[in-house]
Amino acid sequence: MAMPQLDENKMKLVQELEIEMMTDMYARLTNACHKKCIPPKYREAELQKGEAVCIDRCVAKYLEVHERIGQKLTELSMKDQEFQARAAGSMPGTS
Amino acid sequence: MESSERPKFTNEEFDAVLNYLVSPSKRLYPNLIVPQSAGRVGVVPREEIIMTTVAESCPFRACMSFVVGGALGGFIGLFNSSIAPTQAAVQMNTRETLRDMRQTIGSNAKQFATIGFMFAGVECCIESYRAKSDWKNSVYAGGVTGAMLGYRAGIKAAGFGAAGFAAFSYAIDYFMHTSSLFNPQN
Repeated sequence: MAMPQLDENKMKLVQELEIEMMTDMYARLTNACHKKCIPPKYREAELQKGEAVCIDRCVAKYLEVHERIGQKLTELSMKDQEFQARAAGSMPGTS
Repeated sequence: MESSERPKFTNEEFDAVLNYLVSPSKRLYPNLIVPQSAGRVGVVPREEIIMTTVAESCPFRACMSFVVGGALGGFIGLFNSSIAPTQAAVQMNTRETLRDMRQTIGSNAKQFATIGFMFAGVECCIESYRAKSDWKNSVYAGGVTGAMLGYRAGIKAAGFGAAGFAAFSYAIDYFMHTSSLFNPQN
């Protein structure tokens, strides 16, 4: 999706929002995969093969879920936009 | 930013921003900044990633175990050749003794090397499949290796071999993780 054309203040706000989103997603991803993949008692500081494999799979799955849900959300918002456009078009006096 | 300066988005702008933020298009981040809230993070160079992947991969671990098992088998063959020579009736001369030593060492090394290769390979595959690192990996791997070793002598021998090798590898695993020799208490 292309960057929407906005003025400077709004662009700054959007970029701050994006950074915050990415940081939040990174924190949640780290927490979730740490909870799932690394047992609470361990004997070594090094990441073992099973744990490394688990973390790879966890991150891939998390990002794919994130992607699918983003797709659904964009679809829903498109449908909502169309509905609103149609509603505004059909009832010009009441919007 | 104070609330009086906060820009207001129109509906269309809001929809466009939402689509931009949430849509799953693959954007490349040339200057990636990883949040350091949980500690120091660095972007790992590609060569190092490749080296660690190869060093942790299953075939590499199996081959390392093959080599180490061969060395261990060599030592055991050395002892065996000296305490139990194949021909004990008549004292062998030097050449025959050396040949006998080479044969014993070679066959013992080969046996231990194949056992180590199979065990490490199977354990690595099981660990990759389960995505967990605990004692059950070595027990299952011991069972499979014991079954493979005993299969030649029939199904029952395979079963006993599996049980015995599984118990042995559990014992070794327990010892490795509990003894203070291999886990120095800093």
